[in-house]
Amino acid sequence: MSDVPLKNPGWAGNTGEFDLTEEQIRGEDFIGERPLHGGHSSVSGTMPYMLIEKNPEAELFEGEYQERLKKILTRYPKKRAALLPVLSMVQELRGHVSPESMDRVAELLDLSPAYVRGVATFYTMYNKRPVGRHLVQVCTNISCNLCGADEVLAAFLECTGTELGEISEDGDFTVIEAECLAACGFPTCVQINSRYFENVTPADIPKIVEHLRAQVKGGD
Amino acid sequence: MAYPYVSDVEVRVISKYFGDPAHRRIDTYVERGGYKALEKALSLEPDAVTDEIKASGLRGRGGAGFPTGIKWSFMPKEPTRPHYLLCNADESEPGTFKDRELIRWDPHQLIEGCLIGAYAIRAQHVYIYCRGEFFEVNQILAKAVEDAYMKGYAGEDILGTGTTIDITVHQGAGAYICGEETGLMSSLEGDRGEPRIKPPFPAAVGVFGMPSTINNVETLATVPHIVLNGGEWYRQWGTEKSPGTKLFCVSGHVRKPGNYELPLGFPLIDLIENVCGGIRDGNRLKAVIPGGSSVPLINAEDARNCELDYEGCVEVGTMLGCASVIVMDHKADIVKQIRRMVDFYAHESCGQCTPCREGSAWTARILRRIEKGQGTEEDLDTLMEMTEQMVGTTICVLSDSIAAPVQSSINKFRDDYLELIRRGDQAGAV
Repeated sequence: MSDVPLKNPGWAGNTGEFDLTEEQIRGEDFIGERPLHGGHSSVSGTMPYMLIEKNPEAELFEGEYQERLKKILTRYPKKRAALLPVLSMVQELRGHVSPESMDRVAELLDLSPAYVRGVATFYTMYNKRPVGRHLVQVCTNISCNLCGADEVLAAFLECTGTELGEISEDGDFTVIEAECLAACGFPTCVQINSRYFENVTPADIPKIVEHLRAQVKGGD
Repeated sequence: MAYPYVSDVEVRVISKYFGDPAHRRIDTYVERGGYKALEKALSLEPDAVTDEIKASGLRGRGGAGFPTGIKWSFMPKEPTRPHYLLCNADESEPGTFKDRELIRWDPHQLIEGCLIGAYAIRAQHVYIYCRGEFFEVNQILAKAVEDAYMKGYAGEDILGTGTTIDITVHQGAGAYICGEETGLMSSLEGDRGEPRIKPPFPAAVGVFGMPSTINNVETLATVPHIVLNGGEWYRQWGTEKSPGTKLFCVSGHVRKPGNYELPLGFPLIDLIENVCGGIRDGNRLKAVIPGGSSVPLINAEDARNCELDYEGCVEVGTMLGCASVIVMDHKADIVKQIRRMVDFYAHESCGQCTPCREGSAWTARILRRIEKGQGTEEDLDTLMEMTEQMVGTTICVLSDSIAAPVQSSINKFRDDYLELIRRGDQAGAV
């Protein structure tokens, strides 16, 4: 982690004090990423994290990922049911779900490419094209909106120098609007990669952006 | 540190350990009496468990308020095919943030509830359909499920009783409609999350074509407490028709937003003024949406007469829904907020039914026009007429959810619309 101090570490439960650490809030057993092989098969379909460095050419379903795939397939009576977790795995590795990746998934699960495309485009979390290293999703739905989410979104766009939905020139950021993230009591809620930042105000944003930039450079 | 905000009048049954990270550990949970209810349930006949839930009068916490015990009793008694229990953790109703907290702070409470529910409906597999955006929640839940397997509370031969119940955490991928029960089933099967026509009802033909029951996170989290303490015990809180406690998610313009667990029937104005510290910045109360974005909004006057239970909300022309109280002060721009909500529904409409697919987009367009000062009074009539045609004409109730805020805001806050329209007229005249 970068040593840039953050005013708002973003773990819900903070209401303005922002002094709790990840350890204190989540308990040390719960820190860190899930194993790449997916752990116990009951939970192997849960996406462990979003990688900052995305490799659109990454090999799919090899090594530990293959192990995870096998576990996922044991949990459903029909192969097709594994489609969502498998698409999530593709995105975890490659950062987005390209038509080529979808074809590969279709082949793997004995589905038609058109079917997979129909499903993948139904869900907003699958990026259909590449995104920046940090995907910033600002909730602008009602509860956050009442508390100034539009200003938070504008501040993110200004601070990262990017247009809504586009990748910034340095490749670091894509900023998009999100629908309700289910953190309405802690507005404004912003999801950055796999983490929620809560109680965010426009004044917090330069620091958050600086922190994220440092993560890219420092490799986190 | 007390979890964001707490209040003396709260009755914390399912939220007792919010804010205590240690409680996520299985050892701590067991030390504090966890999994005792599972042990008790497994020593009873499945139908006896269902009867206890029936006796408690627990009603589904996902929004519809259907009695949980009765729902469970719809499942076949002699299983000839696999049964499934589905836990709906796809929390995405704007204004709602209780399920995320329930899983984050007390994952084992939910797991225990799922196992008991599965036993009662004779299911051997539970799918917890967890919202895709909840990475952190998923991490916590995944660890908890792994631990439950490790300690023998889940999987084969649970606690040596010969009962087998598997749990699978399934992650969604960002679609509001997957919170609708049949949409969730479609999604779990690897399809687009398109709702299905009922009947057949899930208890006959559910996920993978098998008998299924689907319950909200909060409902299942309450189950262990009822099994352990009895249905009568749960009835000490709440009203005759709406027994028990409920998590109220308060957001918007209050001083202390957050989750508060209160007996059903609690006065809305008391919740806003006392529990949540009143309207912030000394402003005045203007409007409240008491049950998440899909229910009609009410004005300050109705809010003063509203009791927060399933019947009390209906009396003032709204619904309890999932008890997500969104509070707006007198400076709130009602038309803008309604337009934002309709934009959301237009985005989330699955597109199967014409009234919803087309109606949501048209409604959004007209509202945007009014917002820009280019609307006319006839637009309001058009909106009322159009949204009327969107009620009860589609497979699921997403379409009805668009009509509710639009119609109620025009009825209760017509002046807000007219002011925008008049301002536009004046600008045009100049």
